[in-house]
Formats: sequence, C-alpha cells, structure tokens
Amino acid sequence: MRITTQTVQAQVLGEGDWIAVTEVSQLCHIGAHDLHELVELGVFAHREPHAGEWQVPAAALPRLRVMARLMRDLGVNASGAVLAVELLEAQRQLQRRIASLEQLLEEE
Amino acid sequence: MEFRDYYKLLGVERTAGADQIKSAYRRLARKFHPDVSKVANAEARFKEVQEAYEVLKDPEKRAAYDQLGSDWKAGQQFRAPPDFGSGYEFDGAPPRSGRGRARAAPADGGASEEDYSEFFSSLFGRGTPFGAGGMPGGRDHHARIDIELEEAYSGTTRTLELQRPEVKPDGTVELRRHAVRVTIPAGVTQGQLIRLAGQGSPSHGKAPAGDLYLEANILPNRQYQLDGRDVTVTLAVAPWEAALGATITAPTLGGPVDMRIPPGSQAGQKLRLRGRGLPGNPAGDEYLQLKVVLPRADTPQAKALYEEMRDKLNFNPRAG
Repeated sequence: MRITTQTVQAQVLGEGDWIAVTEVSQLCHIGAHDLHELVELGVFAHREPHAGEWQVPAAALPRLRVMARLMRDLGVNASGAVLAVELLEAQRQLQRRIASLEQLLEEE
Repeated sequence: MEFRDYYKLLGVERTAGADQIKSAYRRLARKFHPDVSKVANAEARFKEVQEAYEVLKDPEKRAAYDQLGSDWKAGQQFRAPPDFGSGYEFDGAPPRSGRGRARAAPADGGASEEDYSEFFSSLFGRGTPFGAGGMPGGRDHHARIDIELEEAYSGTTRTLELQRPEVKPDGTVELRRHAVRVTIPAGVTQGQLIRLAGQGSPSHGKAPAGDLYLEANILPNRQYQLDGRDVTVTLAVAPWEAALGATITAPTLGGPVDMRIPPGSQAGQKLRLRGRGLPGNPAGDEYLQLKVVLPRADTPQAKALYEEMRDKLNFNPRAG
C-alpha cells in the first residue's frame, strides 16, 4: 500500500498557554461539571478573563487527563481521582528515590 | 480481520445482565487501567476490555453483535455481513473518540494502532449505521508518542505512521494508513500534549477536520532520572575528590561540562547545575548525586595508605 507523507506543524501546549474550559473538556473527555469540581478542589490554578469564561493552564493537562481517565474508566469521583493521582505521583517519586539510592549502593 | 468475543473478553456469559457486565468491566478496568496497573501489557488488555464494554453496555450495539451468532470463536477470520446493523434504531451518537490509548509509533519501527480494533470499526465505526450520525465536525484523535530523553532535550523530527478508518464508496470501512512528519520542539516534558492541527478525523461536509494530539511519553533513561524538567545523575567521585574538592567533568544532556566539587562533600550529596535540565521557561536543573567510590586495598601501597589513614585520622564513621 502506498503511503503519503505530510509535514505538519506541531504546537506544544505548554507553560504560558491557557486553555478554555470547553477545549479542556474535549481534550480530556471530561464534562464541564466534573471539570469545575476539580477546579473547586484546588487541583490547578484557573482564571476567568471574561465573566463565565474559565481557563486553565495547559501545564495542568497531563494531570487532568489522568484524573479524567480515572473518573471515566473506573467510576471514581473527583475527590477520589485527585487522591489517586496524588498517591500515584508520590509513589513514582519514591520509586525514583529508591532507584537513585540503589544506584548509589551498586558496586559497593 | 479476526473476530472478537466480547463476552469472553469481559469474562461473562452471553446471558449476562447489564449489572453483571458493568461489574465485570469495572473489575477488569481497575486491574488493567494503564494509569494504575503494573500488569504487563496492561494498556493493550485495557483497550480490549474497554472495547468489549463499549459494545455490551449499549443495548443496540449488543443486540446487533449478538445477531452475529454464538458460533464465532475469538481469532476466527471474520467479515462483517453487508446487512449488519439493519433493523435497529440508533441514537445517532458515534463511538466516542479515543482517549489517548492509541500509540503513534515512529516510522523507524513499531506499528501504530487506532483506539478500536478493525473488528469494532467494521461493525460500529463511521460509515456503519452505528457511526453514521453525530457531529458534523471532524473528531480529535489522540495518540501517545515515545520520546528518548535526549530527543526531549534537543528536539526531534519524527515520521508517524497512523491509520484511521475511512468509509469507502461502497459503504464498507477500511483502515487507511498515512504518515505525518512532525518536528517536536526541544523541552517537551512527560505527558505534555502536542497538537497537530487538522490531523484528526476528516469532517462530514465543510466543517474542519479534527486535530491529532500526541501525548509525550519520555522513555526511562539509563543515566538520567527525569522529574518534571529536572534531571538527576549519579556521579562517581574518589574519596580525595570529595574530601579535598576537585574540578571534574560531569555529563549533562547538552554535553560534558567541567564543574567544581566543593571540599568536604559527602556521598549522596546533591550538587545543582542550574539550567542544565530540559529546556523551558525556566529551564530545568541537573542534579548530580555524588557517589564516593573507594579504591580497593589490593596492593601493598594501597593497604599502607589505608593503614596510615586509620592510624592518623582518628575517624569513626559510626560516632555521632
């Protein structure tokens, strides 16, 4: 099968970018109600440049997407998803620390 | 394409009720969810389970699927009957778009997958009665892209081979492969989204096509540990370098640099090289964790030196 190759421009959604709640809903497949609940839980910063138009920082997207997946796929509520993500992050941090200490012990 | 036994995938009988199906899905989703599971191949298993649930939770899709009969076995060669899906009423909602589970692989290797199997797409995807309605605009697609840490540091160009279901003139669906060459800028971090405008599903009519979002997955690195934009590397030093201070060459993502180790440094101590982590605003830092490596006392001279230290230093590492 012949495959055509197209060169496309990439846009990294990173620090400094703010994304409208409607777009975040689409990106994370999360309802506006659930998203507002996460905002109220103080998981990430938000701003309201115009009345009723919320925006969240693009840097929050990776965490938000995991929370949204847990809510959608496992049926946990917003508080549960936040707790799970925080615990997962703490677990990864500890694993990194363990790996680092193990590396120090190697060959000793 | 191969037949998929959705009941078997969820581990339920064909007579299972909606509650049993939901319960089985929840149990398996918890077990295989890629965000929390440690099971090997969890992502692939989760996709199968999710696809099975997508069909069996929906009375219309389940009824149509059941019409295929119970004689099919998983893995058998299958082709969707031309009249599949006729005689049912639909709510017009297309299958929801994928949620980042698809994997976009570089052209220099692996395959790529869509969110759903070819089996699912042929029965319930676009171009079928089940996928006919819905949004006029194109759907966004999500894929994950594996990036080496060095590539995240310096940026990279990748050719991604993707495939998506497209409706042929005769109404059947085929997976069409296409490739996109994309320049990923330096400084991408774990989980960050990269948007490729117009590379999602084409739309019905004149609405714009959806976008393709790539979720960056920075692969583990043997030498560096990544934490946000910061990296940590273990640096071996001799006891006298730690004790007396020294200028040594340290590895960084941007190439080796000379750095000064202060006198009196200890094993496990971290030294920071500001701005030597992943690029960004601000750039991350590199942390060098010192590992003091002792020379072996395997020559008379080395033994004599250790004995001299023992006799003259009055050092007890276990004291206070």
